[in-house]
Amino acid sequence: MKLEVERVPVSRWRETVVERVAGGSRFGSLHATDGGEVRVLLVEPDGQCRLLSTSGRRLESIVEEVGAASWAEREAHDLYGIDFDGHEPMRPLIDHSDGEWRVPVTGGGVHQVAVGPIHAGVIESGHFRFHAVGERILLLDLRLFYKHRGLERASEGAPLGEAIVYAQRACGTCAVANSLAYTLAAETVLGLESRPAIVRARTVLLELERLYNHLNDLSAICAGVGFAAGSMAFAALKERAQRLNRAIFGHRFLFDTVTVGGSRIQVSAPECRQAAGEVAAIVADAASAWRELLFNGSVQDRLRGVGFLTRQQAVRTGAVGPVARASGLEQDARTGSTELSYTGFRPSGLANPAGDVSARAELRHVELQAIGRLLAELLEDGLEPDQASGRLREQRMGCGRVESPRGETVCVVEGRSGRVHRFHLRTASYANWPGLAEAVPGNLLPEFPLINKSFELCYACVDR
Amino acid sequence: MFVLLRDLNRLRVQIGLRRPGSGSLAIRHVDAGSCNACESELNSAANPFYDLQRFGLNVVASPRHADVLLITGPVTRRMREPLLRAYAAMPEPRLVAALGDCALGCNLLGLREEQLDGVESVLPVDIRIAGCPPSPDVIATALQAALAGRGRRSSKRQAVPPPQSNQSP
Repeated sequence: MKLEVERVPVSRWRETVVERVAGGSRFGSLHATDGGEVRVLLVEPDGQCRLLSTSGRRLESIVEEVGAASWAEREAHDLYGIDFDGHEPMRPLIDHSDGEWRVPVTGGGVHQVAVGPIHAGVIESGHFRFHAVGERILLLDLRLFYKHRGLERASEGAPLGEAIVYAQRACGTCAVANSLAYTLAAETVLGLESRPAIVRARTVLLELERLYNHLNDLSAICAGVGFAAGSMAFAALKERAQRLNRAIFGHRFLFDTVTVGGSRIQVSAPECRQAAGEVAAIVADAASAWRELLFNGSVQDRLRGVGFLTRQQAVRTGAVGPVARASGLEQDARTGSTELSYTGFRPSGLANPAGDVSARAELRHVELQAIGRLLAELLEDGLEPDQASGRLREQRMGCGRVESPRGETVCVVEGRSGRVHRFHLRTASYANWPGLAEAVPGNLLPEFPLINKSFELCYACVDR
Repeated sequence: MFVLLRDLNRLRVQIGLRRPGSGSLAIRHVDAGSCNACESELNSAANPFYDLQRFGLNVVASPRHADVLLITGPVTRRMREPLLRAYAAMPEPRLVAALGDCALGCNLLGLREEQLDGVESVLPVDIRIAGCPPSPDVIATALQAALAGRGRRSSKRQAVPPPQSNQSP
């Protein structure tokens, strides 16, 4: 997607960003560069993106007004040494060298519960520090980035077409969304224009990724309340969805299916219709398993009234995707998308978007049905390989914005003579972790795994 | 719930799962910087299509209970210490399994200063499971083979006669 870049003098930085956000633009991401530039990506109400850029190693923080920028400013401070005046206290995010834990909660009877980085199940690595009185959680402090591999920096200097692997391998379960966000940005830089066959193939891939992820999330939520029959039923459906991925595209996680500058995917019309049939069967079985959950009183009792994220909290923390929609925000990067096949798309919503675990679970169910309808339409015809045409002017910077299973993912790519100069990926998980920390206080410690699973965020996507 | 259980039972019959052998392995998983695909497949190995637990292959919550340390990812600089601590906490004899290409040090992406060259650079590896990511059936097969190998070793030990029961008749 073409990116309008606007230079802002450092003295007017905070004022300008805050003005734009108050004027209806949404904060997308913030990143710094080696050259001492700080940039903010804004998403306009019509879905177009705009980049505000300033130079300076010391600038006024925007977190007071734009809470969603909190982690990004801490990251820019840790990795690029940028100082943000007014961001107090500036606690390390990626930098773990400060071994001391700064206790944000004090008082009579407050104790800490330290969990991780290694967890009890098969879970990614990250550290949670609960501050609790008895079982009641007062505050959750997160320390992630144990899996930081420096992928963004490692990609610098790689040819734009090849650097897609850095986006893909950032996260296995969001591989399509991340590589597609990168591809849309890189193709803008290269001046390539997509064609209908490519656009449709990419949309199919994105929805198939959402299909198996949503099934996984419902399975995880059932596991979170100890309901093994539900967990296994949805896990079996996820398996069927991933087997379908392998049967049509050769990989259970759809690795290497998205490519810069075209699409190599070739699936015949009968195969597509067969796949559409299996998707319809999976979605129908998921609906029947969901009905079972509705009639299970003990499951419903655990889901309701736990882990509230209010609409205001969702806006302030910059929540995206199913999490934001379950809190009543009508936000979905598929709406009005000009680069993917989502004509007439309307985001799924709930009659009562309460923002609790129950709402987040129900939203997955509603979206699964929507995925079924989308894929039925997209898979009516075969998928043919095609090349993007190079008719547009090359750009210095481009951006990609796609709706991953976990929400809006944005990517900024800056190129220099056909190579990556700076690549920044802000995934949906990155946007949603601060919201999780807001939804947990007030709940009991044993509710945390359930609340966590209702968000079902990746660590790899965040740590990069 | 009964409908779900009936569906799952029907699925088991359709798949025709193989009969398990004997013995068991307790597995502790450590994510040392993977992309989450290996975790996803390891979790899938417990789904009704593979049902790893019926072979006596159980993921346990603590390294203190584990026979196998199953590691994913290239071993990031920040996960090196927690990984070594988990290994130190395990009782002997213990096995180390490297799950996935990253753990085997293949095709690594990322900065040299942020990660090592796979599990082998910090721990002796006994079981190697290749793939990006290895699918659940590959994981199941490799772990069953490890279990069979262990079974052979332990059957030698069983040559020692079992201790007399001290319960009164």
